[in-house]
Amino acid sequence: MTAVILDGIVLGLGFGLLGVGLTLVYGLGGVLNLAYGEIAVFGAIVVSQVMNRGASTLLAVAVGMLAAAGLSVLLDLTLMRPVYRQTGEQRTLLGLLLTLGVAFVIVGLLNWKYPTGALYIFVSGDPISIAGVPMSAGSIWASLIALGAAGLLLLFFGLTTFGRGVRSVIQDETGARLVGISPSLVRTSIFALSGGLAGLVAVTRSMTAPLTITQGFTLTTFALIVAVVGGLGSVAGAFLAGIVLGIVSNVSAHYIGEYITEIVLLGAAALTILVRPRGLLGR
Amino acid sequence: MAEPPETRPRRAAVLSAAVRVLLPIAVTAAILVVLPRFWFGDSPYTTGLAVEALVFGCYAVGFNLIFGSTNQLFLCVGALAGVGGYATAILSDRASLPLAVGVALGTVSAAVVGGLLAWIAVRRSLDVIFTGIVTLVFSLAFTQLLIGQSDLTGGDTGHVLERAATNLADDHVGGYYLFVGLLVGLLIVFRVLQLSHIGWAFRALRDNETAAELAGVDVARYRVYAAVIGSAMIGLTGGLYAYSLGFISPTTYEFAQIDVQVLVIVAFGGLGTLLGPVIGAATFGFLDRALTNSGQLREAYYGAFVIAIFLFLRQGVIPTVTSLVHRLRRIRRKEAEWRPSS
Repeated sequence: MTAVILDGIVLGLGFGLLGVGLTLVYGLGGVLNLAYGEIAVFGAIVVSQVMNRGASTLLAVAVGMLAAAGLSVLLDLTLMRPVYRQTGEQRTLLGLLLTLGVAFVIVGLLNWKYPTGALYIFVSGDPISIAGVPMSAGSIWASLIALGAAGLLLLFFGLTTFGRGVRSVIQDETGARLVGISPSLVRTSIFALSGGLAGLVAVTRSMTAPLTITQGFTLTTFALIVAVVGGLGSVAGAFLAGIVLGIVSNVSAHYIGEYITEIVLLGAAALTILVRPRGLLGR
Repeated sequence: MAEPPETRPRRAAVLSAAVRVLLPIAVTAAILVVLPRFWFGDSPYTTGLAVEALVFGCYAVGFNLIFGSTNQLFLCVGALAGVGGYATAILSDRASLPLAVGVALGTVSAAVVGGLLAWIAVRRSLDVIFTGIVTLVFSLAFTQLLIGQSDLTGGDTGHVLERAATNLADDHVGGYYLFVGLLVGLLIVFRVLQLSHIGWAFRALRDNETAAELAGVDVARYRVYAAVIGSAMIGLTGGLYAYSLGFISPTTYEFAQIDVQVLVIVAFGGLGTLLGPVIGAATFGFLDRALTNSGQLREAYYGAFVIAIFLFLRQGVIPTVTSLVHRLRRIRRKEAEWRPSS
C-alpha cells in the first residue's frame, strides 16, 4: 500500500509540474496554450541534440529549457498580441485556434527534421529505499526537481514583488495597470517561465521513460486536465491536483486493473470539475 | 368559401420567401451533385477524399448547431460519432438487427449521450472552457473504453462490419452520393430550425445569455435541444460512415483526428452560419488534396495555414463576406443620395 501511494505521489508530482506552466498562462488572461506539450517536446529534442554533441547533461538541460522559454516568448511577442487585443470569448477561441496551429507547425517541423527524435536521460545510482520502498534513482530525482520547482514557484509568487505583481494581474488587469504594473511585460515573463517549465517537465519525464516527439498532444491534454482540476491560475492547485490524480491513478491501477486506470483518472477529473467547477484551489 | 383577396399575394410572398430560404441549400446540392461528373468521377482517390470532406461537413453541421448556435464547446464530436458508429456496428453484427435499425439506434444513443452531457453542463452552469474540458475528458475516456472492451469492439485492431454493403465501400461514387444526400438533409434541418422559434431562441442566447434569460428564453432547455439534435446528426453521420467504410477502429473516431478538424472547419466557415460548415469542409478538403505530396511537412503546412486563416479572417468566411456586401451596399446607397435628384 505504501509503495502504491508513494509511486502515485511520484507520478503526481510529474503531473503537477506539467499542469503548472499551462495554468499560469491561462490565469493571465484566459489563453489556453494548446502548443504547450509541443513546446515541451521541442525542449526535449534540443536537450538530446546538445547531449549528442557531447555537452554535459546539466548544460544540455539548461540550453533546452532556455530554448523552450525562448520559443514561448516568441509566441507571446508575435501571435499572442492580436489575441490579447480581443476580449472575453473571442479571445479564448482565437487563442485556442492559433496555439493549435502552432502545435501543428512545431510537431510537423520536428517530424520532418527529427522523425525518430527522443530524449532519455539515464540517472545512474542504486534504488534508494524510502519508508521501506525501493525507488529508482530516476524517479527520485524527478520528484525532487518537481518539489523544488513547486517550492520556488510558491516562494516567488508569495514573497517577491514581481511575483505579487503577477498575481495582481491575474486578479484584476485594470487594477494592476492603475497601480503601475504593465500587464504585457508580466505576460511575456510568464510565457518565458511557462516555456522553461515545459522544458523542465520534458526533462523530468525523460528520467523515467523515453520522451518521443509523438507525445506532445498527450502532454497538452494532461496538462489541461491537471490545470482545470487544480483551479486555473493556481500554482498550489496544480500540484495538489497532480498528486491527487497520481494517487488515484496508481491505486486504481493496482487494485482494479491496468486498462481501467485511465478511465478512473478521467472520471475523477470530470467529477472534480462538476462538483467544484472552480477547481480544488481555484478562486 | 371564397378566399379573401389578400391571401393570394401573401401566398406568393410565402413561396418566394421559401425559395429564398432554401436557395443556398439548393445551389449547394446542385454543385455537389454535378461535381463528380465534371471533375473527379474517374479518380477513386479524389472521390475518397471528397467523401471524407462530406463526412466532415456533416459532423460540422452538427457541431455548428451545438457550438455555433448555443455556445457549448462540445469537444466530443469524434466520441459522439463513435457512439453512433459502434452502436451501428455492434447492433447489426452481434445482435443481428437490420442495418437500418442499427443506424437508427446508434443515432438515438448519440443523441441521448449528447443531451446528457449538455444537461450536466447546464445544471452545473459550466462556461465554454469547462464544457470543453468535461467533453474532452469524455472523449478520452470513450477511446479508452473502446480499446479496453476489445471483446465487443475489437479493441485497437478495429472491427469489420460483416453486414456492411461491400459494394458501397468499393464504389466510392455511391458513398459520395450517400453523404451528399445526408449533408443536404442536415442543412435543411438546420435551416428549418434557424427559422423556427428554436432558432430565434438560439440567436437570442448567443447574442446575450442574460438578456435572453430575462426576455423569457429558457436557456437551459434550448441548450439541451441543440445538443440532442446536433449529437443525433453527428451520431447518424458516424453510423453511416461506419457502414460505408465497412471497417471501424478507435482511430476512425479519435479526438485528434475528428474534433480538431471539425472545430477548425466551423470556425473558418463562420460560427452559427448555414453554409459555414460546407465552405470550411470544402476548403480543408482541397487543402488535404493539395498537401497529399508534401510528406512529412504536411502537418507544418496545415498548422501554418490554420494560423494564417485565423489571423486574417477572425470572424470566418461567411460573416466576413456578408459584412463586406453590407458595406458595399451602404456605399452605393450613399452615392445615390449624393446624386442630384432628378
